[in-house]
Amino acid sequence: MNLDYAGLFHALRPETSLVVGALIILGLDLSIFRRHTPVERLNLALWIGALAVLAAAAHVWFAPEGPVFGGVLILDKLAMATRLGVLGLTLLTFGVASAAPAPRNPAEQVAIILFATTGFLLMAAAQQLLLAFLALELASLSLYVLAGFDKTRPESAEAALKYFLFGGMAAAFLLFGFSLIYGLTGSIELPQIAGQLFHVTLSPLLVVALVMVLVAFGFKAAAAPFHLWAPDVYEGAPTSSAALIASASKLAGFTLFARLFWREFGAVAGSVSSAHGEPGWLPAVAVIAAVSMLIGNFGALAQSNVRRLLAYSAIAHAGNLLLGVIAAGDAGPAPFYYYAATYGLATVGAFGVIAVAERAGPCQKITDLAGLHRRSPLLAGCLAVFVLSLAGIPPLAGFFGKFTVFSAALQMGGLAGPAGWLAMLAIALSALALYYYLVILKQALVAKPAPDAAPIAVPAIAKLALVLAAGLIVLFGVNPSLLLGLF
Amino acid sequence: MDAHPYAFLALFAAIAVAFPVILLSVAQLWFRFFQPAKPSADKGAAYECGVTPTGDSWIQFKAHYYLYAILFLIFDVELLFLLPFAVAFTGLSAGALATMLVFIFLLAEGLVWAWHRGHLEWK
Amino acid sequence: MIHATLHAYVALSAALFAIGLLGVLIRRNTLVVFMCLELMLVASTLGLVAFSRFNGTDDGNVFVFFILTVAAAEVAVGLAIIVALFRKRQTIQVDELNTLKH
Repeated sequence: MNLDYAGLFHALRPETSLVVGALIILGLDLSIFRRHTPVERLNLALWIGALAVLAAAAHVWFAPEGPVFGGVLILDKLAMATRLGVLGLTLLTFGVASAAPAPRNPAEQVAIILFATTGFLLMAAAQQLLLAFLALELASLSLYVLAGFDKTRPESAEAALKYFLFGGMAAAFLLFGFSLIYGLTGSIELPQIAGQLFHVTLSPLLVVALVMVLVAFGFKAAAAPFHLWAPDVYEGAPTSSAALIASASKLAGFTLFARLFWREFGAVAGSVSSAHGEPGWLPAVAVIAAVSMLIGNFGALAQSNVRRLLAYSAIAHAGNLLLGVIAAGDAGPAPFYYYAATYGLATVGAFGVIAVAERAGPCQKITDLAGLHRRSPLLAGCLAVFVLSLAGIPPLAGFFGKFTVFSAALQMGGLAGPAGWLAMLAIALSALALYYYLVILKQALVAKPAPDAAPIAVPAIAKLALVLAAGLIVLFGVNPSLLLGLF
Repeated sequence: MDAHPYAFLALFAAIAVAFPVILLSVAQLWFRFFQPAKPSADKGAAYECGVTPTGDSWIQFKAHYYLYAILFLIFDVELLFLLPFAVAFTGLSAGALATMLVFIFLLAEGLVWAWHRGHLEWK
Repeated sequence: MIHATLHAYVALSAALFAIGLLGVLIRRNTLVVFMCLELMLVASTLGLVAFSRFNGTDDGNVFVFFILTVAAAEVAVGLAIIVALFRKRQTIQVDELNTLKH
């Protein structure tokens, strides 16, 4: 076997930048900045982290396309787009982290965010089961730690434990599915597996393997009925961690999911474009998508906590994203990529607003946002952009994301099959979703502030991040080809 | 010998059960005929050698032990990769060596971090 | 020399996985749940080794090395979380973790 280590090191420059950045942060924090206040240490770590992310983005931009290290990694358009998206969302997460109160170990927090991002980058490009599993676990383990990072609140540790237990179970399911796939095909490289499966019929063992992998991704993506951890984690985790879990990890996860299922199991996809579809994994994904949309949207209606509401909205959006993955067979990965990236922007932004609002007092209940337009017009304006984008109001990016995913699903066979029905269900539920999004906006834009509510001062970096996120949502909404042009 | 491939397992299991059963029944017979029980506080003590145990044996260990266990675990697992690497060393390229050095550097860096943070000091 | 069939290994691996899953779902002590999670990982490891033997490729064996590493990392993170939680709540029973309401 001819292993090209030079090519591997060359291709892994983005990941190397991130890890080196993390090591520099840890080293400086231990030596020179040991005696400084946590806020100063956090700011220093965030600046170095931002530089590392920018360096990684430059490396991703200039990386040549093609397989790396004998096809372990594949650098194609989807990988590049996902990597750029993940890096951008990480940068915005840094903005959220700068607004939140400094934790006891600020440098470690930033370093672990960088490690998680390294995992996301590898997930975006993995073309082999082993690397896919390792990348997913690197990202997940980092996220468990981040969820429990706030040592002053028991809720944070509890959220971390729930996330850990559900995530660990998902990892075990994934691994068992992988082991069966390896047993059936004799390979862990996606192209070889796909070639083998082309000759194989849908045997019971293959069905078990598919179900296991599907369950695992259902857990990771917080799709119903495997969503139980999401509301607790969104509520209990520190705001910046919740932002990362909700945005960048979703984007990388769905890219891996689509790559795994279309590259590897393309031959046993089945069909959902007509009412008498063939069996395969597509019908199963369609069922999960429908359940996620229903549980997410109806669950969100009942919430009074703004973070739990965002979690249920994430479950509903996961349903839409699964619809995008279903449509990716015909329409390519562009629709669901666009949806995931712009959804990530809006969620990071929403969590950023929560993080800034928390500086002036607790921000858990929706009513805690009351009178935000008086307390900080900028914050209220940004929140309006984010929430309306989540709701899918034109001309914001969320609208075009829904439009492109739903139209791709409808083109698969019109209203004659489950894909079309699912798209109609999603459209109907989007109208319902408008209600709970408007409940947030009503508090933020119309309701009067509590008598003792002080104005909120927005720190400069957080202001930059929020305005950037809102600006990008408008820009991508008005000119979607900026993102779709990556393909 | 054309026995079933698992036959020796059955034999092994039978011996494994029979051996302690025989010993225990001999002890039981001895107890019944030669040495009736005379329980006393001294005989019931955990150590019959004069040292009186204090407190409960179900005490809580310091969470700090976990930290050492975790740090040990990392280097324990490192061996898993170093051993195959060492065995195949002569047939490997310089790139493989560089990769391994990166791996060891990252682990060592973690240890240095824990050391500087004071996690290795016994509190 | 015993010649166990591949089916026997796969069945054992599936049984271990099922026992682990059952433990995760019904046990109430976090540490026991945690051990059951590890059992699920080990079950897939057994499957990979058996398949590797019967497929005649080494990929499965290499996979196992990395799974052991990941399992060790998972233990580290999981124990750290459990210790952090115990310090705050003085309990590791799953039922009593109800600060975050459904």
